[in-house]
Amino acid sequence: MIVVIVRILIASVGGQGGLTLARTIAEAAVVSGLSARTGETLGMAQRYGSVVSYVQVGTEVYTPKFLPGEADYLVGLELVEALRNIHYLKESGVALVADEYRPPFTMSSERPQSTRAEILDALKSSTSRLLVVPARRLAVEAGSARALNMVMLGALNAASKLFKHSVVEEAIKRALPPRAVEASIKAYYSGFKYAESLLEPSK
Amino acid sequence: MSLLGPPGTKLPLLGNEAIARGVLEAGIYVVTGYPGTPSSEVIMTLQEYARELDMYVEWAVNERVALEVAIGAAISGARAMATMKAPGLNVASDPLLSAAYSGVDGGLVVYVADDPGPHTTQTEQDSRWYAKLAKLPMISPSTPQEAKDYVKVAVELSEALQLPVILRTTTRVSHAVGDVVFGGIQRPKKGGVFKKAPERFVRAGMDWNLARHKWLNAQLARVEEVAERYGLNRVYGEGELCIVSEGAAFNYIYEAVVERGLGAKLVKLGLLYPLPRRFLLENLKGCKRVLVFEELDPYIEEGLKTILYDAGLHVEVLGKSTGHVPLEGELDKGVALRALGLEPPPQSLKAHSVPRRPPPLCPGCPHRFTFLALKRAISRRGYKLSEVPVIGDIGCYALGVYQPIDMLWTEHSMGASISMAMGLKLAGFDKPVVAVIGDSTFYHAGLQSLIEAVNKRVDVLVVIMDNEVVAMTGHQSTPAWRTSETGRELKPVSLDELVKAIGPSELRVVDSYNLDELERAFTELLDKPGVKVVVSRHPCALLEARLKGVKVRFKVEEEKCTGCRACLLATGCPAIYMEGGKAHIILEDCNGCGLCARFCPQKAIVVAG
Repeated sequence: MIVVIVRILIASVGGQGGLTLARTIAEAAVVSGLSARTGETLGMAQRYGSVVSYVQVGTEVYTPKFLPGEADYLVGLELVEALRNIHYLKESGVALVADEYRPPFTMSSERPQSTRAEILDALKSSTSRLLVVPARRLAVEAGSARALNMVMLGALNAASKLFKHSVVEEAIKRALPPRAVEASIKAYYSGFKYAESLLEPSK
Repeated sequence: MSLLGPPGTKLPLLGNEAIARGVLEAGIYVVTGYPGTPSSEVIMTLQEYARELDMYVEWAVNERVALEVAIGAAISGARAMATMKAPGLNVASDPLLSAAYSGVDGGLVVYVADDPGPHTTQTEQDSRWYAKLAKLPMISPSTPQEAKDYVKVAVELSEALQLPVILRTTTRVSHAVGDVVFGGIQRPKKGGVFKKAPERFVRAGMDWNLARHKWLNAQLARVEEVAERYGLNRVYGEGELCIVSEGAAFNYIYEAVVERGLGAKLVKLGLLYPLPRRFLLENLKGCKRVLVFEELDPYIEEGLKTILYDAGLHVEVLGKSTGHVPLEGELDKGVALRALGLEPPPQSLKAHSVPRRPPPLCPGCPHRFTFLALKRAISRRGYKLSEVPVIGDIGCYALGVYQPIDMLWTEHSMGASISMAMGLKLAGFDKPVVAVIGDSTFYHAGLQSLIEAVNKRVDVLVVIMDNEVVAMTGHQSTPAWRTSETGRELKPVSLDELVKAIGPSELRVVDSYNLDELERAFTELLDKPGVKVVVSRHPCALLEARLKGVKVRFKVEEEKCTGCRACLLATGCPAIYMEGGKAHIILEDCNGCGLCARFCPQKAIVVAG
């Protein structure tokens, strides 16, 4: 019997760690006794191109990808890529987006240039369920700009409450190289706290 | 992640990593192949364990050589595997067809990964036809778990039938992560016994060939029966509607049927060649209509129609020929729902049209220097860029097709740059022609093209863009390396000496980062007669950064930047972007080549910190 608990679309620029984020979620699913399936586009697109990872967690999951309108969460590691994939969210879906602006060459070279504010406005006009995370700042504070993906893992877990902290810590240890574990765990908690404070302001 | 866990271990694995574990469970000793997305991770994963487990796991110079090495091992009783992407099987098809006649003793698995979409391949090749063409059994998994399990099945089938077995996946199986439960590991099975039997192994004897063809057909007639105990073909559910599917496509149609609660009988095939005739007839005999849901060509659809016709069954077959399933592109659950006459889930958020982000050359990429030098040399010789074709090849430098580099005119097949450039010239093209090819592609298939061009005395400028690694597929070794990924000591085969031995009229070797010298070489050689070779050599910037770290990085001094975009328009470097009328450099992405600084009229780009 197929039971998909959650569908997550991760949108990133190749090299930002979108694939590692997908892998960490899959590890966390298995650590907590669930099943996971992801679909990746590896290879050419990995290098600074648009990268999308489909992640599904459940008790039994079959397909490596899902359709526009089916995602519970959109995790955007970059604003333009988040906007490119916003239609993957279902109506009640939540967008968690890093405040990271890396326009592709065509946007950067044209005049007038698109701006960060325009992309943010387009995202806001698409959905009210949008959380923008100062992920680069939090990652640098945690020890490495490369840990931006783990900040967003924290935001995702604050919004979804999918995994216990101990499960995520174990998943990070399994999915990341040993030298990156400490900063990654710090970044995770920092993203979690930031998102939690905005999601539940009463606490 | 360790691949060596005990039986029962459950880990999320990429399909290709699962296949790597399957190799250990199947006791395969020789694993070789040529890198190609989406197949490369099998060897990359296994190389970590090769020494510890006493296995041979090495990249070969090309797929044909890889398969021949694997065949040689298997006819002496070793268990062997050759891995490749779909076009690689075209390269390896010559030995593949002969191996079907000779047969093997140790299990031989040919792993090929197709790419519906396509995501990273030049064609949407359907390699299932190769099984039919070569007359070799083919099996196809749907999930990472099956991908692992089927390696052992392939080895056992191969040994039971004495035939190479093709294990075929697609991108959504080889590059899907799913949880996989381990079985037990077997000790790698070496060979070393080879008895002379020319009637079996010499394809020069025509009577022998005829006899082996009869033998091959007799073996093929046994495949369904021999494979039966592995349960490769399965039936799910009951209902009026009958569906036949396989591979990644099965996942989509299965989820569609279950999610919508349809009463349908789903027939999943794991054995693709020969199609399991008895199984299909037994399970489809009560059906009035059968939907065949498969990716790429109507392979099962056509085979099934023949089987039904021969059995005198009048069953309506729906699929690609009836327009229910598209002939191009990858399938998904939405296509599955529509094939079933249902609507996909509603899409409540509007899609935004956002400019594409094609993969550019990386920050610091030496190929960027080579292309810019070539551009300037062409202009300096008085030609327009639109007059001088740059005939490309397969590798990272093919990304030079995109703006603002915009230099590549063709990219076809491994090694084709030099030979296609030669064809242009001998057909009467009167402007200079340039061929660009990477080091690994040159070793793979460019060598023969260069021999042809030199031998026939054509006029062409050949640029070998040598970054000392197979970069695009994830940094694999080339024949120029001294030590392989597994720590094996190698005898490096010098690219320069190879080229010299072929005898081009000119040979220059230049450091790619030396833009002025490169430009000088290209300017001098562009329209000289004969085959002129320039080796533009500099290590891949991405690999260098990973291995040695980045010593200097650059930043923009904002007060000096006028926002003219010269840095971006010249280089297209993905570490640079414009915001608020100023250029910005993403510091951690900068690999410190400094090319952008050369183009800044304000000298606003300086070494950071």
